[in-house]
Amino acid sequence: MVSIDTVASDPNGIYVWLIWLLPFIGALIIPGVVRISKYVPGLTTGRVAIAFAAMSAVSAGSLFLGALDGIEIHDQITWISALGLKAGVLADPLSIIMANVVGWISFLIICYSTGYMKGDKDITRFWFWMMFFIGSMQLIVLSDNLLQIFFGWEGVGLASYALISFWYRDKAKDHVGKEGRTALGIMEYYSPTHSGMKAFIMTKVGDIMMLAGMFMIFAFAGTFGLKELLYETSWAVEMSAQSLLVPAAVLLFGGAVGKSAQFPLNEWLLEAMTGPTAVSALIHAATMVKAGVFLVARLGPLFFALGAAGIMADQFFEIIAWVGAITALLLATQGMVNPEIKKVLAYSTGSQIGYMMMALGVAGLSTQYVDGYTAGFFHLISHAMFKASLFMAAGSLLHVVGSRFMTDMGGLRKQMRKTYAFMWAAGLALMGAPFITTGFWSKDAIFAAVYESGSGWALPIFIIAVLTAVITAFYTTRMIGMVFFGKNSKHIEKMESEGHHIHEAPLSMWIPYGILAVLTIGIGVIGLSAEEGIHHLFTDYLEESFGIHTPHIDLEHSETLGFLSGLNPVALGSSLVAFSVGFGLGYIFYIGRWIDPAKFINSNIFFYALHKLILNRYYLNSMIYWSFVIAPLWLARGLYRYFERTAIDTGMNIGFERAIGWGAKVVQGTQTGVAQSYLYVFGAGVLFVVLILFI
Amino acid sequence: MAILGVVGMIIPIISIARKERGSVTFYAAIAFAALFISLVFVLSQVWSENISPAAIFSDDVLVDDTFGSLFAIAMLIVSIFTVIGSLNYIRKQANPAIYFSLILLSSIGMVLVAYSTDLVMLFVAWELMSLPTYILAGFAKKNPASNEAALKYFLFGALSSAIIIYGISLAYGVTGSTNIGEVIQGFATADASLMPLALLSVGLFIAGFGFKMGLVPFHMWLPDTYEGAPTPITTLLAAGTKKAGFAAALRIIVMGAVALNLDWTAALGVIAVMTMIVGNIAAIMQKNLTRMLAYSSIGHAGYILIGLAIAPYTSLGIQGSLLHILNHAVMKGAAFIAATGIIIVLATTHLDKIKGLGRRMPITSLGLVISLFALAGIPPLNGFWSKLILFGAAIDSGSVIWWGPWLAIAGVLTSALSLAYYGWITRKMYFEGEKEKRVKEPKSIIAVMIFAIIFIVGFGVYPEPLIHFAETAVPALNSGLIP
Repeated sequence: MVSIDTVASDPNGIYVWLIWLLPFIGALIIPGVVRISKYVPGLTTGRVAIAFAAMSAVSAGSLFLGALDGIEIHDQITWISALGLKAGVLADPLSIIMANVVGWISFLIICYSTGYMKGDKDITRFWFWMMFFIGSMQLIVLSDNLLQIFFGWEGVGLASYALISFWYRDKAKDHVGKEGRTALGIMEYYSPTHSGMKAFIMTKVGDIMMLAGMFMIFAFAGTFGLKELLYETSWAVEMSAQSLLVPAAVLLFGGAVGKSAQFPLNEWLLEAMTGPTAVSALIHAATMVKAGVFLVARLGPLFFALGAAGIMADQFFEIIAWVGAITALLLATQGMVNPEIKKVLAYSTGSQIGYMMMALGVAGLSTQYVDGYTAGFFHLISHAMFKASLFMAAGSLLHVVGSRFMTDMGGLRKQMRKTYAFMWAAGLALMGAPFITTGFWSKDAIFAAVYESGSGWALPIFIIAVLTAVITAFYTTRMIGMVFFGKNSKHIEKMESEGHHIHEAPLSMWIPYGILAVLTIGIGVIGLSAEEGIHHLFTDYLEESFGIHTPHIDLEHSETLGFLSGLNPVALGSSLVAFSVGFGLGYIFYIGRWIDPAKFINSNIFFYALHKLILNRYYLNSMIYWSFVIAPLWLARGLYRYFERTAIDTGMNIGFERAIGWGAKVVQGTQTGVAQSYLYVFGAGVLFVVLILFI
Repeated sequence: MAILGVVGMIIPIISIARKERGSVTFYAAIAFAALFISLVFVLSQVWSENISPAAIFSDDVLVDDTFGSLFAIAMLIVSIFTVIGSLNYIRKQANPAIYFSLILLSSIGMVLVAYSTDLVMLFVAWELMSLPTYILAGFAKKNPASNEAALKYFLFGALSSAIIIYGISLAYGVTGSTNIGEVIQGFATADASLMPLALLSVGLFIAGFGFKMGLVPFHMWLPDTYEGAPTPITTLLAAGTKKAGFAAALRIIVMGAVALNLDWTAALGVIAVMTMIVGNIAAIMQKNLTRMLAYSSIGHAGYILIGLAIAPYTSLGIQGSLLHILNHAVMKGAAFIAATGIIIVLATTHLDKIKGLGRRMPITSLGLVISLFALAGIPPLNGFWSKLILFGAAIDSGSVIWWGPWLAIAGVLTSALSLAYYGWITRKMYFEGEKEKRVKEPKSIIAVMIFAIIFIVGFGVYPEPLIHFAETAVPALNSGLIP
């Protein structure tokens, strides 16, 4: 526990600092490496990037065992003493596990990128921003105060902007969407530069909310420190008395909504697919979108712990849970119809993040905070693994086929056996295939947490969660079916006839996603005990760090389930059913191909309309463009023509300019260059000063 | 005190060297070595904390305290900038040995002013600092602008010296001592009938030192001199000797104000506002980079003065001033050295001629832009923090004096105004002009630029060491004079 005035220090702190400093150092020296790489054989920017990513991951790994024992490293330095600001790192079980997830998955993605980005002539820029991205994310994870988190937060935003619009020459192959398609008059076809800006601006909406929330808390607490906020909670009492606590918390959550692409700030995520696929993998698995979830996991216990002091923040958790639930369903449905493989995966990410938010939100509504907390965080870990794997595999497909459309793939299971196998493994985890995948256990834990939360909202959210799971299983099957089953598409036949041989991706590419796919299954087999391990760890963590006591409840409902004792039968049953229904439907349409989906949709007007609604993203994107881009532009032009050019330009602007110009002339006018007049002014000045003093 | 000995030893070395016909580089190397050793010595003293805490009351004529060290560091850095910047600039001039020797003499004067605790000592040091700069300002003998600059500077210098000595004599008449501590105590306990004389004395000090600080209305000589003098010398004047004025003002005026417990700080407040406004507004319309920087340095004197004006009410005020003095020395020094580099290459600093400079001289341009942005106070550069502390302190002082926050408002508004001309230069350099070829930039200028960029960005991201140093250097903090 730390009061505001003391500076915490820890001899092991240096390892924590290194975790986030190393990627930044790597980023800074990479441009220099380009210059000397000519003279040193074997020195390439890619290898330097791998080295620094590895060092960062290893220093995170060195703390891992400690995390299992529940250590806490809190190390601070004075940053700006005149303002009482401190910089610091805080490594507790939550952040150490997160740092390991980020560190190791980023490391694999960096390895993968050496293959994927081979021959790109802007590779230096790519490495710089990738390392910058990782460093910023680790900064978020390991910071001990909100201000520093915000620096990392903006760093992540900046890096994502630079990487999404990495191919800034806007070639047709780097766009997303289909040329010429429109929804409500809005083009559904985006260039990389446009997408980068879209992501930057949309996340910025959340960032500003977060900034406001942060400073509201600072205004009352006088500190940004997470530990300090917990140590002395009188700020919360005061804020709550003025009904400002929940608004501040929700504003902070606004930052997470933007970064994690939650409803209603979800639309940037799709266009973020214009970046190189390695970037997409990084954004979706390890960095960017996970930052929002991490923030909620970081701050959630703080607000929950205030409950013990009688300060309730229930609305805060309700909002989180509902935002998560809506996003999960909304984006999953859209994943069912999109023809682009990366977009399907992007929708799936948003939807899965929705699950995590849902769990973290529901946790706060339950007495068993740790259940939802563990479920959400466990899902974050398992999602990070399988989604990174899926994205990298999708990148291989794009790399080999040269098209982002699944309709241009098809029948690839013979040509790309390894990718096929790994994609199944990771895909099954996404679907929640029972008992052997991590995805199953984490999703099941969320179901159980929601079902058992005892909140009034438990049932509707639970139904949404199960429905989303059905849809998830369906679209994943659809994706794999369209890509690997059936016959080769015309596109591929054309490629083959032109002499391009379709072959497996190179070693440096399939190894990373292979590792993750195998891990997904491997950890899946021991998934239940892994989950229990995390559960146990977090129970202690929440108890020790936040004083959140978890009442021990005897779980009795499981005589019949044998080795599955401890699982909620309703949740378990629901996830089994959801998986089978979704997978079965997908099999019928896309693997067995017994019914042609196009015919099925056109068979009746209801399906047709629904399909169109979903394909057009519920018109949400179009509405955002109409109301926040086109209308303001139109308004701006009007204002410019009728107000600015007349009122401001002639009156205010010219007037102001003339006033300043006149002032400058007066001052310059005194500056005659004649020494006598200068001396005269000097003398007058002396008199003036003396006079003021005597008055 | 040993530091002064080290610096003093340089004179004979130089004078011996003068008899030979050495090259510019040779003399510059000697001057650089001397200044660098002194700087390292001062830094090591500060580092090892082998130094007395900031004090105004001392029986000695000189005291080796943190306050003086802070100024000494700022001044020595500027002097080093000047020496390095002169390397290529002064090549065509005669008498390089004299040139560098004068720079060193002036540096000794500056450092001594910072360490002085006796009025007579201070005056001697003041003259030691000033006299060489009169010659240096007119060092380009064949250039009428340089001659004019020197003449105006000298006229004002002579006048202000007279005013200072008059102020000293009044102070001595009232208190019977020339020791600053005793003078201030004497002021505090002086008979009521002597009060007008004490006030007059302080007023004369403000005017006399205000000349060096470039305060409005004592600033008239400044733009002409800065523009006409050789640009490295302008660096020395703008970033170095100006600080000596502040050192003296802090030691005498502010401490006097605190001790007298009188509301005469309002005078400083008024001057601060006038200085900020005049400096920044005049800078906007300038067509010449050097002249624009000269006006901007008038404006910055106003910012620093904010801290002095509110000194009796919050210790943050002086802390902010000291921090800004240190930062300003590097920022403004680097900006003028960049201008020197531009003159070496383009032979002019007219703003129409610097189009596309970002491509022609990338490192100089980057250094210039970063120092300009730091001057404007854009985070995360070091200038942001010192302005933040100054303005924050001004707002804090609002609980005691009603006009405190207005200083902050004037500061913020004029800072915004200053961004107009800093941004204009940036636009000229980076967004205008066609395909310029890269030219060779002088190595000496590049070295200064790199040092300045590291300093500005480094202490922008992690300002704590400087802030802490400035805090320890607030004089009389321990004596309880300042709340």
